[in-house]
Amino acid sequence: MRSLRIGLLLGLRQIQRASLWTTSLIIFVMMLTFLNLIAVSGILVGLIEGAEQAVRKSALGDVVITTLDNQDHILETNSFVREIATYPEISTYSVRYKSGGTLEANYKERRDLSGERDTAAVTVTGIDPIQEHAMTGLGDLLVEGEYLNPNEEGYILIGIYYIEEYAQQFGDVFDTVSDISPGDTVRLTVGDITKEFIVKGIIESKVDEVNLATYIPEREFRRLFNRLDRNADQIVIRTVEPSDNASVVASMKASGLDAYAKILTYEENLPKFLIDIKNTFNVLGTFIGSIGIIVASITIFIIIFINALSRRRHIGILKGIGIDRKAIEIAYVIQAAFYALSGSALGALLTYGFLVPYFKENPIQFPFSDGILSADPETTFYKFIVLFIITLIAGFIPAWLIAKQNTLNAILGRK
Amino acid sequence: MNIITAKNIKRSFGKDNLITHVLRGIDIDIREGEFVAIMGKSGAGKSTLMYQLSVLDTPTEGEIVVDGTNIVNLSEQEKTEFRLNTLGYVFQDYALVPDLSARENIMMPLLMRGEDWEKATQKSDRALDDVGLAGKYLNLPSELSGGEQQRVAIARAIASSPKIIFADEPTANLDSISGEQIIELLTKLNREQHQTVVMVTHEREYALGVHRIIYMEDGVVVKEEKLREL
Repeated sequence: MRSLRIGLLLGLRQIQRASLWTTSLIIFVMMLTFLNLIAVSGILVGLIEGAEQAVRKSALGDVVITTLDNQDHILETNSFVREIATYPEISTYSVRYKSGGTLEANYKERRDLSGERDTAAVTVTGIDPIQEHAMTGLGDLLVEGEYLNPNEEGYILIGIYYIEEYAQQFGDVFDTVSDISPGDTVRLTVGDITKEFIVKGIIESKVDEVNLATYIPEREFRRLFNRLDRNADQIVIRTVEPSDNASVVASMKASGLDAYAKILTYEENLPKFLIDIKNTFNVLGTFIGSIGIIVASITIFIIIFINALSRRRHIGILKGIGIDRKAIEIAYVIQAAFYALSGSALGALLTYGFLVPYFKENPIQFPFSDGILSADPETTFYKFIVLFIITLIAGFIPAWLIAKQNTLNAILGRK
Repeated sequence: MNIITAKNIKRSFGKDNLITHVLRGIDIDIREGEFVAIMGKSGAGKSTLMYQLSVLDTPTEGEIVVDGTNIVNLSEQEKTEFRLNTLGYVFQDYALVPDLSARENIMMPLLMRGEDWEKATQKSDRALDDVGLAGKYLNLPSELSGGEQQRVAIARAIASSPKIIFADEPTANLDSISGEQIIELLTKLNREQHQTVVMVTHEREYALGVHRIIYMEDGVVVKEEKLREL
């Protein structure tokens, strides 16, 4: 306790009397280290989190209802929907019908009947346009044309990955049709049935699931695919509080709804590879950040070592007049703690006061996501603790090395 | 009664064929309340002897008993505690901590001895008053003259009322007036508070007020001169 008191006094006074420029520089280095530790992994993870958020916003919502493993569709969909409509925790939902078909374009202009047809195998999604827009804002994702009008029939929305002019930037990956604009006529073939549609709009999103879909009103879908039982393939739900989705799922399961469909939270529905990528990016970011920690700890070591070495004689004198070695070591550890705390505090202020809001407003544009800066406070805290402890050790070792030297040798400046 | 008894003190440095024998077998007794000056030419071994007696160094051979404790076999930690509780030091170049005010420099050993902040402050201020530095409590060492810094060092040495004060050439870096003031201070401490003072000096005029002068040459005591009775 006495050593702590003396160490505190010595440490605080050393900080107080140190050169302002030197102190500022050390704190700046610590701040950069903190940012390196948080921001590098934060941006890497943020890419995936941005993608996740986009999927949550534009495709899947907070709760995802899909077919049971042994069923083709959600059973008793109408009753199911009536039931979930009574949940006050649910703000909106969209019922989707999905199936595969073949989209054909430019068939009217085709002169050579023996030549290749301009077709693409597509996913057809039947939606209630009003419900879907309320749920995912699909109507805001148009790059060309207009959104579906619930009172009209014979119109289709097409995701950009099915249109050659948009999809070619990704190479020859997608099955596409070419030269399509709103107002053009295309035809959709499902089995033996073919129906013509007018392209109403073209949809572009950061979410592949949206880009790889065509949308038609649900009434037409049911007729086209002969789904007269009205049983859907997917229901996506947005909860009033997104973080409460697990309790909503639990409540639905408690009501026995899981006998009709698979009920999952958004997180449970995430593909494993996405979670793996996120974890890998986190590890990668932490590794890169760790290099920063090592550099910072070496910096602190050198600073404290030079500081302690230049005061070697004073350290000897302090020991000579009876000051415990521990007090001297504590003084230097306090200095290191001060640098780590100040740098981290500034770094945290910059991260949460500026960088996180900035990247939220101005996301980094990636093809698959709007990259944000992911800085979960809990993870940040743990990383800070690691940085803090390593800095303390980096401050302690040189102090220990100098303070353990022979007292008289230190006083006389002898080696 | 002897407060320091040293028998056959030897101190050598180096090893193998490069050994330098700085102290070659010294016997010394210093009585409680005595003011002793150790004098000699440069290289005579006077400072080395003082370091042995003041528990800052360990002799190669011999036995030293200070205030009833055989200090030769103490551990580093025990030596530190012994120095804190029994001894006071005045070094040649003041040896103040530059980041601490005059008051804080004096408070350090007091706080280390477990005194509370308020009491340590009062004692350090009183010590500064005693050495004629009233009102300079908050001055940093760099804001004081050499003589003033040495007075702070003396105040630090006396604040915790140690039994013995060791002064290693306390006037070496001072002008003659400041030097005389420092010697007067040490003499006053010895006379009024009966603290034992052991001072190393090479200037005889500063040693004229002491009880006894021990003369050294080539690592041995060659003469003792008693100037006044204890």
